[in-house]
Amino acid sequence: MAVKFFGQFLIGQGIVSGEALLNAIDLQEKNNLKFGEMAAAMGLVTPAEIQRAHNAQMSKDMKLGDLLVEMGVMTLVQMNDVITRQKSTHLYIGEALVQVGALTNDELQKQLDAFKADQAEYVSNGIELPITSANSQIWEMTADLTYKMITRVLDLRFRPGKCTLATVIPQNFMLAAMDLSGDVEARYLISVSEGLQKSIARAILSETSVDDEPAEVLEDTVMEFVNVVCGNVAAKASQTGIIININPPVTLHPPADGLPIPEGHRALSFPIHIDDGDTMELILLIKE
Amino acid sequence: MKKVLVVDDSLSVARQLEKIIAESGDFTCVGHAKNGAEAIKMNHTENPEIICMDMNMPGMDGLTALRTLSVMDKEVKVVMVTSLGGVGDKFTEALRLGAKNVISKPFEAGDVLRILREL
Repeated sequence: MAVKFFGQFLIGQGIVSGEALLNAIDLQEKNNLKFGEMAAAMGLVTPAEIQRAHNAQMSKDMKLGDLLVEMGVMTLVQMNDVITRQKSTHLYIGEALVQVGALTNDELQKQLDAFKADQAEYVSNGIELPITSANSQIWEMTADLTYKMITRVLDLRFRPGKCTLATVIPQNFMLAAMDLSGDVEARYLISVSEGLQKSIARAILSETSVDDEPAEVLEDTVMEFVNVVCGNVAAKASQTGIIININPPVTLHPPADGLPIPEGHRALSFPIHIDDGDTMELILLIKE
Repeated sequence: MKKVLVVDDSLSVARQLEKIIAESGDFTCVGHAKNGAEAIKMNHTENPEIICMDMNMPGMDGLTALRTLSVMDKEVKVVMVTSLGGVGDKFTEALRLGAKNVISKPFEAGDVLRILREL
């Protein structure tokens, strides 16, 4: 039901054991050299030069290879050679499982097909953003996964509205927010009315009525929905090598004139028109 | 009936898990801890056979608690329940620290019970 990686899928299906997966991951870690390790193995850099570049990375937001080129330690052609060698020798988890004897080649292909079918619902659909940014594909994927989870987890029918740049976060009954850090820096917010909060609570708690639930529990269900979406966003991002850390969710109650957009941030607003006439809003507060 | 301790800062997830456990017929929930530190204390007082624990909690998080529990109590079986289950590094770290399995959110009752029964 959630975004998974291949090893997790295989354990879930009882195809491989946790021990076999860890053996395969150990093999991957030995085999798949990082850029500096590969460059050193190819005789292009010395450990001292790598250390110098690592030190320089403390003050410069650059990849190790780009930095080594800028420092004159290697040429652009050599950097590309290292990347090509990394790609051509990369051992995928399925191949590693075959090598440790946990899977046969035939079984691997069969399970890869089954995995693809299992995860098909999380293949991203196109979403148009009003801005271009280095991480546009992450924000598109975040909105797309939010829509998919509204269907899967909340069982609500809706129509996504056009994404716009917001100048204020409007007042609503409540907002649940989660800070994202790592390779991106942003705040994920879901804004809901009182009615939608109850719809979310009914779905999360699997109850037909939540009228007697304390406010604390109702708010918690919206935070949990945000947690589920952001965790799955982090999982999906990790498949493309992008690290996203999530933090415990919080709730916000904006004043009547809304919340201002903090300086240095842009706010993407995604209105979500629910079939009963209510509107939920996804807001991505992105640090630029 | 096997005794299960639920560890999650979210009241709603704790409610979901407690309901699944109560309706299972073969497990009983012995309590709900809201962070890793409480889990370690309640593991001592309630002596559960299984702990279902979130990873991402304020205060002591689930992986830190798992590290401590795997040293203090070799008998208890820990299953992580997390929205981060699909992040390969987190999943691997949990297994390396001694978790028996990782349940991704959103979960279904059948998946949770199947994993608990396999322990």
